[in-house]
Formats: sequence, C-alpha cells, structure tokens
Amino acid sequence: MAELLRRLLRSPQGAIGLALVLLVLVLALAGPALAPHDPEALSPLRRYRPPSADYLLGTDQLGRDILSRLLAGARATVLLALLATALGTLAGAVIGTASAFLGGKVDEAVMRTVDAVMAVPSLLLSLLIVSVLGRGAENAVLAIAIAFTPGMARITRSVALAVRQQDYVNAAIARGEGAGYIVLREMLPNVIAPIVVEMSIRVAFAVMLFATLSFLGLGAQPPASEWGLMVSEARRFMHLSPWMILWPAAAIALVAVGFNLLGDGLRDALNPRT
Amino acid sequence: MTAVLEVADYTLDYATRQGPVRALEDVSLSIARGEVVGLVGESGSGKTSLAWAIMRYLAPNAIERGGTLRLSGTDLRALKPAGLTAIRGKRLGMVFQDPSTSLNPTLTLGRQITEVLEFHRGLSPADAVREAEAMFARVGLRDPAAMMRRYPHEASGGEKQRVVIATAFACRPECILFDEPTTALDVVTARQILDLFRELQAETGVASLYISHDLAVVSGLAQRVAVIHQGRIVEQGATRAVFGAPQAEYTRALLAAVPRPDVRLTETVPQPGPPLVAVQDMTVRYGRPSLFRRRARGVIGASAVTLDVRAGEILGIVGESGSGKSTLARALTGLAAFEGGLAFEGRPIGGVRAMDRAYRRQVQIVFQHPDSSLNPRQRIREILARPSRLYGGEGDVGALLQSVSLPADFADRFPHQLSGGQKQRVAIARAFAPRPKLVICDEVTSSLDVSVQASVIRLLVELQRSSGAAYLFITHDINLVRQIAHRIAVMQRGQLVETITAEDLATRGPQHAYTAQLLAAVPRLDIGETPDDA
Repeated sequence: MAELLRRLLRSPQGAIGLALVLLVLVLALAGPALAPHDPEALSPLRRYRPPSADYLLGTDQLGRDILSRLLAGARATVLLALLATALGTLAGAVIGTASAFLGGKVDEAVMRTVDAVMAVPSLLLSLLIVSVLGRGAENAVLAIAIAFTPGMARITRSVALAVRQQDYVNAAIARGEGAGYIVLREMLPNVIAPIVVEMSIRVAFAVMLFATLSFLGLGAQPPASEWGLMVSEARRFMHLSPWMILWPAAAIALVAVGFNLLGDGLRDALNPRT
Repeated sequence: MTAVLEVADYTLDYATRQGPVRALEDVSLSIARGEVVGLVGESGSGKTSLAWAIMRYLAPNAIERGGTLRLSGTDLRALKPAGLTAIRGKRLGMVFQDPSTSLNPTLTLGRQITEVLEFHRGLSPADAVREAEAMFARVGLRDPAAMMRRYPHEASGGEKQRVVIATAFACRPECILFDEPTTALDVVTARQILDLFRELQAETGVASLYISHDLAVVSGLAQRVAVIHQGRIVEQGATRAVFGAPQAEYTRALLAAVPRPDVRLTETVPQPGPPLVAVQDMTVRYGRPSLFRRRARGVIGASAVTLDVRAGEILGIVGESGSGKSTLARALTGLAAFEGGLAFEGRPIGGVRAMDRAYRRQVQIVFQHPDSSLNPRQRIREILARPSRLYGGEGDVGALLQSVSLPADFADRFPHQLSGGQKQRVAIARAFAPRPKLVICDEVTSSLDVSVQASVIRLLVELQRSSGAAYLFITHDINLVRQIAHRIAVMQRGQLVETITAEDLATRGPQHAYTAQLLAAVPRLDIGETPDDA
C-alpha cells in the first residue's frame, strides 16, 4: 500500500489528483464543522450578495451563505456518489469478467441483456428504479449503482477477453481450477487498471446524476445543500447573481478533475511494469 | 573498399527513472558495398537499438553520448527531419521481424510499394505499378498482378515478407538493415526467404546489416560478423574466423549453446510396459457455438491423430506453426474439446468433462511465453504454492525454487522482476510441483535466447531424469528435439505424418518426404565451409 502511494505520487497527475481528492474528502468529512454560518439560516436582507469579507462566496436567493452550504453539502454529494460508483463498478466488473471467462452462450446471454439495459438512458433507468424503490438517498445510491453496472460490465468484458487469452488463465484451467478462483484471483486483478480509470470518470458523472435526481425531487430535498441541487436552483437566478451557479458548478468540476487525475495516476501506479 | 555504412565509437544511453542505462558503448562497425555483415546478439544486447539509431528513429528517452554514423559520407546524426525523409527508404532501407505488423492492414500490398516508388523515385502512378509488378515477380511472388490488389491479411507470412523485401529493395538503396527478418516465419518459409535474400543481395550489391540471434543463419549469410553483448561489440571479424576460432569468452558460450543434433543430452530410456497416454484418432475442431450460431463452422486443428507416450519417455512433436502440434497440447490439457479416444494409464478419458483432479494433477503443461503464463499480479510464492493448495500435499516454495536452480528469495518477487529464462524456470517448477507423470512442453524454449535456451533444456533433462516423468516436447526446432527426444512425431497440416525414433532418424534418415524437407530447411551452423553453400 505504501509502495502504491509512492508510485502514485511520482507522477504529477497522480499527485495533483490525490491532493484534490483528499481535499474534497476532508471537506466532505469536516465540512459542517468548518462552515462559518448556519447553512440554512435565511436572511432576506442579504440576498444575491457578491463575495465579501463576511460572506466569502456570496449569498443565494434566500440570503444563505454559499460557502457554508457548499461545505455542508460536500458529504451528501461526494460520499454518496463515491459509494454508488463503487457498488456499480464492483458488480459490473464481476459480471463482465465472469461473462468473458464463461464465454459461449452464457456470454451471449449476459451481453445481450446488458445491451438491452444500456439502451435505456441511465438517468431514465435510475428514475425508474427510484420510483419503484421509493425516494431517498439510499435508494438513489442503489439506483445509480444499478444504472452504472451494465456499462462497467461491458468495459470490463472487453478487457477481460484479452486477459482470457493469456496463458496464465489457460494454465489455471489446465490445472483444474474452479471458475470462481479463475475469475476472482487470476483475471480480475489484471483488469483492474482500466476499471479504476473508468470508475474515476464515473464518480463525476454520479455527482451529476445525483443532482439531477435531486432536481426532479427524487433525491435530496430543497432545503438540503446538495451541490447539484444548488446548481439547479441557481439556474433561475443566474441573471441576478452569477456567483450562485458558479461556486457549486466549480466544486463539481473540481471533484471531477480530481477523480480523473487520480484515475490516470492510479492506472500507472497499478501497473507493476512501469 | 570504401564503407557504405560506417558506425564509429557510437555510444547510446536510455534515460530511466533509475538514471541513464547504457545501451550501446563504443560501437564501431562498417559495411562495404556488396557485403553482408551479421550482427549477432541476444535480446537486450542492443542490436535493435543500433538499427534504430542508424535509421535515426530513437526512443524519446534516448541520449546519444557520442560517435558518428555515416552513410556514404553523409553524416546521419546531423540530418534534419526533411533530410531524413529523403534518406529513409531511398538510400537506407529496413526490413522488420514481423511482416504481419510491418505492413499497413488497410492498404493493398501493391499500394504499399507504389507509394514508395512514387515518393522516392518520382515515378508516375502507372510506371510505379509496372515497376512494382516487376519487383513482385522478382521476389518470387506468384501472379504479381493479383498480389498487388490483395490486402495483407489475404497473404501468407512468407508472401508478406517478400512484399516487405520488395519494398526495401525497390528504391535500390545503398544499405538495408535486416532486423531478424525470418524469426517470425516457419522453418521452410524462412529458408526460402533466406535464399531470396542471398540472391537479391548478390544481384544488387546492397550493403546489408543482418541482425539476428540465430548463429546458424548468420553463419550461412554473412561475410563478416560482429558479436554484440550488453551494448559492446565483443568480437568482430570474418565469419569463418569468428565462428571457427572464437576469441571472446562470450562468443564461445554462444556457440556452445547452439543445439547440435549429433550431441545427445538424454541418457534415460523409457520404461517398458503399457503406454502412459494413448491417443486414438483424436480430432480437434475450433470455433465455439454461440447463442445465434448453432454449430460453429469447424476449423480443424488436428485430425485423426494417433500416438502414445510411454512412462518416462520424451516424445518430440515437430512441425510448422499451424501444423496442429499445440492443438494436441490444448486437447490433452482440457483447453480444447476433442473427439476420439484418449486413455491415461489405461483409464479412458471421454472428454474435457471427464478430466478429473487426478488426471489434471498427472498431466501438467509449460507454455511457450513465460511472460503470459505467469500471472503478473501474483508473487512467485503464490504462483508456486497454488498447485499444492489445489491438489493437496506439501508445498515448499523454497525447495521448488531450488529444484529449478533459482534462489529462494525469488519467492517474494513479481514475475516482471525476473528475466525470461527465470520466469520459464518458475513455470517449470509450477508444472513439476504436483509430481506429474506427463509434462507437456509447448515450445518452452522458443521465446528464449540461445544461451538461456540451452540451460533450460539442461534443467528439463535433469528434471526428467530425477522425476521419471514423460515429456510431450513440442517444438519447431528439429535440431533441438533430436538432442533430447526418444521418439519424434512429425506433424503437418493437422496430421501426423511420421513417428520415428531419434536413433532411426540419425541412422536411417527420415522416412517421410515432409520430414526430409523440414530437416533440409534447418540452417546449420557451418564453421569450416565457405558461406556460399550454407
């Protein structure tokens, strides 16, 4: 683990990505404690304020401090998106690898099912799942995870097909190993690099999906300071105060860039040959 | 004689994270018009780096420390990109190892050569086509006009290499670099390409640098030879002098490692009694049935093969690629479904599903490429401990490593931290871990360097003697198999054409025409004769 970290820090994108992601994680964990104001305190007299010494990032349409709201919303936004992505990735990776290993009819059946599910846009799919399961953060996480699974399965399978041809897999089959051992121990560790990269891109996407669900009233509910929700709310007041939409959007972008860089760095660090 | 290509005191480093690594040190070499100079070395010796340096196509992390590269007086190192474009292909050609990757798959074979002719010789398209057809005919391609319209995937490896050679010779360059041009080809095809090379070279008088790890090939082609080891030329001189009376220690070691069919390495004799493995009319078809395609159009990998292996016997299987020899290995290890009969120690094995743990334990396989047969994410300890965990029994990783002459502390390394030969030793240790009765060696030495190959063969012979296991030794190298096998089975196009004992092959000669053809195609290391009749 220490070795992985050292390798990660050796590349500039790995170091910057790790720094950004750590910053975001610290904000997510300690955010509410760091907030200078009560994120929910309304002050009708100080609406649409630009950044000032008192309100570092300005105020929104109800006079709430945007900085405090961002800090308070980091947890809901980042951690849940991360959790959803991790769940979807894990499920997709196992399905994709197993499908590539088993091949033949099983592979065909799994992949055609995946195609069918992928034909439904992931937003629509998660909407459908949330409306069946009922609204709420946990169900939104589950919905996003399920929506991500087919895509991850497809990507993993394409990598796993190449790994399937490797002689160490043949050696394992010739040895008489079980399918579980081959999929989990021989193949999965060798497909991890592209999965990690794809996962890091999808974290940013999950943040957006969460925001959309919140916007449609199925995820976080209006008083909450979820970033995506803040963006959707601020759209209506953009001409009154551009800061309102700028800050949460910048925060989401920061998360996206951070995870992307970290993904690139991890890809190199995870490859034992570099 | 004036030198066409002159390399003097050339030194090259590669920048790595661990600091600069020397790739070439004070390399001096010159080739005159009409001369073939062989550059012999093992992988990592710097021979390909030298070729790229001459072509002025170095990796971004290459650092040139000094020396000169001259082509008929032109200083190659001083050339600007535009000057290089004018030289590459026109005055300085190159033929690569693998014709399947050196041709552009989206262009017709004709276009790949006419482009060169139009660009470098300024021919009109019609003239270029006419010239290209003439070149194709010259390199021995049948029906040149039809070949011009084909794409690379529609031609065989030998035909593709002929196209590459035609392209290299098309602009009548002063110098051509050949980087292992026959390594990726079959023995018989390689022989034809070598004959073609010799003819064209004599006809055009092009100065040729022939890079190869195969001493036998070089001994038959080159007038002079340079032996390169770890970036230094350790010995250089007339081919006969260097190979006949080598001065450098390294050259002597290289020569000693070349397989010689007349020196037998195996002393054991197979045990009498019923066969260990009996294969009866085994046929293997490729192509998996899918959800939409009921029955795959079967490509036949092996057809009605009948052979047996006795306990403690080394059965060599030789043949070209595509002859079905590896297919047989795949069928015996349950990697490919087969039809026909298979019996192990008298017990019939009906199919892949009938291969139980006991069978799997007794039949082990070692693959060709140690890079891909060891999982890159597992440490050696994990790789070697796996068989005993699977089959039961004690799994002393240290003892296993010792049995293949590797230090015990390798257990904590990853495969990529080992050299090719060391990796193959690990793969061998893994195969011997469950004390098998049959070990299938599928081209185990063909991706290794000559000297490493010799030591791996010695190890296999030693393990065979101490364990008493039978080997199914699959190889394309008939010289090698004659050194170690008790019996030799020759395969061609999926069929077994001949099974002959090594003794009979040595005394009575091959019985089948194809075996004779194979034997004749193998380049021989000739030391005493003139290079012309190799």
